Amino acid sequence: MTFPHRIRTIYVKELIDILRDRRTLIAMIVVPIVLYPLLMLGSVQAVSYQHESLEQEALRIGVADDAHRRMVTQLIHADRVALDERKATLDPESDEAKGLPTPLDDATIEVFDSLADLQRAIRERAIPVGVVFDGETLVDSIERQVKVHVNADYEEPRGTSAGRRVEGLIQRTNERLQEARLHERGLPKSFLEPYTVETVDLSAPSSVLGEVLPLILILMTITGAIYPAIDLTAGERERGTLESLMVCPVPVIDLIVGKFLVVTTVAVMGAALNLASVTATVYFGGFDKVIASTGGHVPIGKMLFILLALIPFAVLMSAIMIAVCSYARTFKEAQNYVTPVILAVLIPGGVAALPATRLEGIMLVMPVGNMVLLAKELLLGAAVPPWQVVMVLLSTTFYAGAAVAVAAGIFGKESVVFADAGSLSGSFARKMMKPSPRPSVSMSLLVTALLFPTWFFVQSALSPGLDEAAAGQLYGTAWLMPLLFVVLPVGILLYWKVDVVRTFGLRVPRLRHWAAGALVGLSAWAPAHELNVLQESVLGVPETVVRSAERLAEVVKLLPPATAILLLALLPAVCEELLFRGFLLSGLGSSMRKWAAIVAAAAVFGVFHFFVFRFAVTAGLGVILGYLCWQSRSILPAMVTHAVHNTVGLLSVIRPEWLRWIGVADDADPQAEWAHLPLPVVLVGSAVLLLGLYLASRPADPQPAAGNSLSLPGRGSE
Amino acid sequence: MEMVVADSLVKAFPTPDGGEKRAVDGLSFRVGQGQIYGLLGPNGAGKTTTLRMLSGLMAPTSGTATLAGFDVATQPQEVKRVLGFLTANTGLYQRLSARELLIYFAQLHRMDRAQAEARAEQLIAWLGIEDFAHLRCGALSTGQKQRVNIARALVADPPILVMDEPTLGLDVLSNRVILDFIKRERHAGKTIILSTHYLDEAETMCDQIGLLHDGRLVAEGDLESLRELSGEHRLSSIFLKLIHADRPIGAAGA
Repeated sequence: MTFPHRIRTIYVKELIDILRDRRTLIAMIVVPIVLYPLLMLGSVQAVSYQHESLEQEALRIGVADDAHRRMVTQLIHADRVALDERKATLDPESDEAKGLPTPLDDATIEVFDSLADLQRAIRERAIPVGVVFDGETLVDSIERQVKVHVNADYEEPRGTSAGRRVEGLIQRTNERLQEARLHERGLPKSFLEPYTVETVDLSAPSSVLGEVLPLILILMTITGAIYPAIDLTAGERERGTLESLMVCPVPVIDLIVGKFLVVTTVAVMGAALNLASVTATVYFGGFDKVIASTGGHVPIGKMLFILLALIPFAVLMSAIMIAVCSYARTFKEAQNYVTPVILAVLIPGGVAALPATRLEGIMLVMPVGNMVLLAKELLLGAAVPPWQVVMVLLSTTFYAGAAVAVAAGIFGKESVVFADAGSLSGSFARKMMKPSPRPSVSMSLLVTALLFPTWFFVQSALSPGLDEAAAGQLYGTAWLMPLLFVVLPVGILLYWKVDVVRTFGLRVPRLRHWAAGALVGLSAWAPAHELNVLQESVLGVPETVVRSAERLAEVVKLLPPATAILLLALLPAVCEELLFRGFLLSGLGSSMRKWAAIVAAAAVFGVFHFFVFRFAVTAGLGVILGYLCWQSRSILPAMVTHAVHNTVGLLSVIRPEWLRWIGVADDADPQAEWAHLPLPVVLVGSAVLLLGLYLASRPADPQPAAGNSLSLPGRGSE
Repeated sequence: MEMVVADSLVKAFPTPDGGEKRAVDGLSFRVGQGQIYGLLGPNGAGKTTTLRMLSGLMAPTSGTATLAGFDVATQPQEVKRVLGFLTANTGLYQRLSARELLIYFAQLHRMDRAQAEARAEQLIAWLGIEDFAHLRCGALSTGQKQRVNIARALVADPPILVMDEPTLGLDVLSNRVILDFIKRERHAGKTIILSTHYLDEAETMCDQIGLLHDGRLVAEGDLESLRELSGEHRLSSIFLKLIHADRPIGAAGA
């Protein structure tokens, strides 16, 4: 049976198994279909009922003495008369008549002994509002102004409502007096207000949905993933079926992928049902006006789009849940592990749901956060550039892949299969570890996945605002790159007793492979440039890419040439090769086929260069570098290629003369960067590149037939 | 031909105080084709750990084991293809029927759907599962479950069977069905490793017996040579004598 066949068998069985479970059905169907509408109807009704009842409630107003009581009574009476007169002039069915405020004549006025007593009563919420005047009489002449202190606890709904009603009373009194005074003097209303302000609200009708819904749906998707993830991993162990599964001739990765797909399916189905239920409740429950801020309709088309956006999120969450639950040996243990994970997910999710957070900077690659933001931006009607969507999807896929690999590394591990065979901490106890020639797939992917947002953060933190600080970014990178790309992986390898020399391929290659590295390094820029130009003509170049390239060029010209080459060619060549072609490719190669490992490592290498625009070219170079490394069983030819390639790029900025010698346009023309190279240059470049690859095509040592997974220790048998 | 070879197997587990405990300590034995090898020993002797190492579920701390010539440490997938493994406390998928479960495992053993169904029906007939093959495993009795479990272990018709306490807690009828089935498989040329607490069962079933105590093999041979070695007749007495447990307490019933 082939690989996809086996996964399909596992998928079908697990899906049947999980759907026959009453608990899944309750969590997936009953909760969204019954509970959601109930909760929503209940809470919306409670809120509107409370709101109405506060408005209808007889008002109680506190005053500090008898004089003030008389003053308040007079104001209320005058207001009542005016309101009645106004009402008489209006059609009782008109909106204006319906919108008239309720008079306060049913208000009870309570007299307190002193201002202090009154304020204490308000603080103790014994009375919602207190009115204090400066002076003992109401306004009686045009020269006099009386200050009215409205005391209320504005943090409390009752206090706010009462305070507003009193403020409204004063406001209406003011308007009435102004009108009378203007009328007396025969002046128009514009005398007082030469300008009036009218705000025009252009927010999308679904703004409340846009702010809240992504977070709710994310919670529901997580909830949907939890139960099947636990049931299919820890449940397997707890019911004693894991041992018989593990003695089947099926690779663990197939089992995990099958299970992971089931969890994703259930999570997406759950999210879809939730979404449908929300939509139906809002639509048929008549709540669209309550929820949509300007009385709009339910955006059904957008709901479908959100569902699509939820799928990558469900994929990531399912992968994380499977990885976490694989570590657990019982349901209970799994539930304990899941709780902190949910909290950890809610933090970036919550930050993303904040109104001011935008899809930019670190948020583009923030796990979970970027998906919430994407859904929010789309729902709010913001225009999201396609490259941002790609960035979000690429990084999410990368994280999900790493999580699945980790799950496969953990699931079926001895210490997890046999609870009686030593404690869990045994799997971290160094003395129980066996030396291994290369890191596992899960170790290499997990470390790289954790490095990714860290590196992105470092790069944006160092990113200069001013040109003079741009060199600072280079120096900062010079310190941090060796630390994160080399020292950290080496530390991890040493702790887990992995052979550092073999992992990094630190061996002297054949002369043929040295030459291959040099030739590829010298020539790859020409086809790479053509690829860039081709891509530019199809997709266009984002302004940010152009600006950052220009800024980098400026900085490079300021640096001494030797420093520029050291920082921008040699350093990345050494550090990036050690991380991507050493640590990552070795790990992937430990249980993946040759080309799958090379392409996967190259894709990660591409993702690490952040600009989606450069992804294709970087990943393409990554494939070539990985191939060189695999064929020569040494990291050094790839380092040579990388260093030479970067140096060629630098020289085109520092010493542009050589470009003219070979007939390439001067870079004085800003468009030149996106122009095709002369055909002979492209042909020669491609020929040299192919020659280099041909030299590399003969492997260093005899190895198992091509295409076999390399389960033998080390890349070579030296 | 030797189908199972264990050579100086050691399995050490970390203890909470930072030390290590050897559950299996330098165990070597060989089993020829068509033989039933009985692994006997008190609780904690290391029987289950040994069987788990043979099946590739646990990596030996040191030493090697091969099944049909495949090394359990370096060729786990090949080992799994020649092995049927019945664990002591195996669970079944509660929400699948016995038939669905057998078909699923047959498919995991690389059969296509039609082959898997045919093999499942064959085993259902041989082990007398017909009456409850359509029921979900969660609803089966202990004896019925164990029959399904044995069918599951045999689904790929492997040349080597490893059975950990196959008759634990069964009624007389199920016990009979299972023991007859094991004999039948032996006659068909299968190599079988059996671990059991029931000494009379071992007496009647096993060609070779290995007595395991504290992770070491204290004696090995057929029943006759063990009788000679110990001077006792019944296996239970032989057993107690050889592990020097015959003095403090009287002979324990088998």
